[in-house]
Amino acid sequence: MSLSENPRLGVFRTATFRLTLAFVAAIICGMVLQFVLLFVQMTHFEAERSSGILHREADVLVQETPERLEYQVRERASNELRVVINWVGLFDGHYRHIAGDLKTWPEGLEVDGKVHRLTLSPTDDAPYEMRFLAVRVPGGRILVLAHSLHLLSELRFMIRRGALLSVFPVVVFALLTGVVLSHRALARVKTMHEAIDRIMQGDVHERLPAARERDELERLAGSVNRMLDRLEHLMDEIRDVGNDIAHDLRTPLSRVRARLERATSSPHDADYLNSVIERATLDLDQCFSVITALLRIGEIENGRRRAGFAQVNLADLVADIVDLYEPIAETNGLALINEVTADPACAEAMTTFGDRDLLVEVLANLFDNALKFTPAGGRVTVSAVSGPGMIRLRVADTGIGIPEAEREAVLGRFYRSDKSRHVPGSGLGLSLVMAILRLHGVDLAIADGDGPAERPGCAFEMVFQLSVVSESA
Amino acid sequence: MIPDQSLSFTPPEMPGKASILFVEDDDTLAREVVEELSARGFSVSHVSTGQAGLEAAISESYDLMVLDRMLPLLDGLSVIEKLRNQNIRSPVLVLSALSAVDDRVTGLKAGGDDYLTKPFAMDELVARIEALLRRPNDTRATMLRVGPLDMDLIDRTVMREGREIELLPREFRLLEYLMRRPNQVLTRTMLLEDVWNYRFIPQTNLVDVHIGKLRRKVDGPGETPLIHSIRGSGFMLRVTL
Repeated sequence: MSLSENPRLGVFRTATFRLTLAFVAAIICGMVLQFVLLFVQMTHFEAERSSGILHREADVLVQETPERLEYQVRERASNELRVVINWVGLFDGHYRHIAGDLKTWPEGLEVDGKVHRLTLSPTDDAPYEMRFLAVRVPGGRILVLAHSLHLLSELRFMIRRGALLSVFPVVVFALLTGVVLSHRALARVKTMHEAIDRIMQGDVHERLPAARERDELERLAGSVNRMLDRLEHLMDEIRDVGNDIAHDLRTPLSRVRARLERATSSPHDADYLNSVIERATLDLDQCFSVITALLRIGEIENGRRRAGFAQVNLADLVADIVDLYEPIAETNGLALINEVTADPACAEAMTTFGDRDLLVEVLANLFDNALKFTPAGGRVTVSAVSGPGMIRLRVADTGIGIPEAEREAVLGRFYRSDKSRHVPGSGLGLSLVMAILRLHGVDLAIADGDGPAERPGCAFEMVFQLSVVSESA
Repeated sequence: MIPDQSLSFTPPEMPGKASILFVEDDDTLAREVVEELSARGFSVSHVSTGQAGLEAAISESYDLMVLDRMLPLLDGLSVIEKLRNQNIRSPVLVLSALSAVDDRVTGLKAGGDDYLTKPFAMDELVARIEALLRRPNDTRATMLRVGPLDMDLIDRTVMREGREIELLPREFRLLEYLMRRPNQVLTRTMLLEDVWNYRFIPQTNLVDVHIGKLRRKVDGPGETPLIHSIRGSGFMLRVTL
């Protein structure tokens, strides 16, 4: 919102611009560092050079006879010696001036053949620094040579000036580049912003401009688009499911309504009324079972509660459920075969971490389905294949099966096959199974069952992670 | 619901009317339940808040309480907790719109004796109330004798007037449960929960098939049938004691 309110401010509030500012600061720091290093090196070099000059001249002058030296000093003070040596002075053993333009002994100077940097404070001028070298010459005299720091201060001035002059254009250039770059980025963000606004206003088919996902921004837009695709798909699914469920509820409800209406319209005997009420109750129970299943799925999917989780032995669980379902399979003319406990080594290591009550519900629903959709004479088999740290539990039947094309849809949320519509029950058993298995992190796959090739039936395969405890046991 | 059978629901040996305190904030549902329970021979008092329920239970002694889990002012579980602290031990049946297993467990842990999820069938409620009012026979006995049936819990054998009935382990467990609760309506959910320890509603007539198998073995040809189906609600082992 603030972007559209004040577009000029917008540029300065982008991440790119802030990044630019950070870069400018880094550039300035880099330049300062560079100039400091340059300056230190030059100072060092200049000091070496001036020391070298002083020593060389002193070495030459020391060779001279005292008379010649005095002459040289007198003459040199006003001729070519000036070019390299700024001041020369000849002093006696008591630091009294004999000849040269250096008239007084510089305070603090020691006669040790080393170059000293001293500040002179003449009474008629501002104090200044010079480099001095004092050497003893024949005749008990002392020769003092001085070299000014003039060149050094000049260099210093040049560097400072150069630094200041170059910092300004560099900063301006970096800032301008930053503004241009962030303006471009901002324009792209703005189009995305507008796209998002359109989506929020209800245009669910709108997508962000992602082009070919060349950079982070477009990759991000691509991710957002994929998320939107998924959401749109889920919304469609939920809308379809909502329609389906409304339809499924309306059918029994309209039956109830019709029956009750007919019962009240004309006088009937008690037996008739009783049967009407009974059938109405059955229809309402059907509605309740749909609603209960929906709520339960919601509960399991939203809750993510694992309070009931404990070590569960799958072999025992399967044995219990088979025991529960065996009589009904027998009544329906089906064989219910439990192959899980056949292998004792396998059965022992079949402990997983889960909610027993919920896992019972999974198996019960799968058995319910298998029994419902397998004609008499068929068989339902539970088997297990163990792998490293996992176990694949398989419930296979020889029933009518699920067409390959429909299999993926069956595992979708709230899928209801047309076939299951005419069979009593909520028709949401598989959705419930999926919800519970998702809670347990178990994958469910549908494969061909154990029937003959032309009608193989179907098999539900679940891959459980085995508990670490049982692996070591 | 079915008037001609409701008579058999009232246990003949129950002396006088059992008194029930019903705490429920949905007044329409409460009126239905109160009328139904009264018609079945219970004396029912109804209050609609947890606080009122607690006061009623403390001031008067009831044989049983039916308590909604979500109540205004004071929720059902807190009521149970306060009652148990007051040393009031009448059985409590918790009603709830929450069906999650966790909620059931917390409901029972808090001191409830049974848990029923809304919506429930009236028969289911009545059956559970009766089950709570008549706690099962002595659990330490090694022999159960109900009418013509004799069950040896150690040898795992069952005799009916000299005829030995051969049962599978699951059938034995089911018959034991029935014999501990003679002349009492047992619903399908009660059987699933108590005999098999399962808490789901199967989409097939599982329990009926198990009962059918057991009945064929228990009630031989020419013998007086003992295991009866009660239409719309469940099953009963009916004997003259």
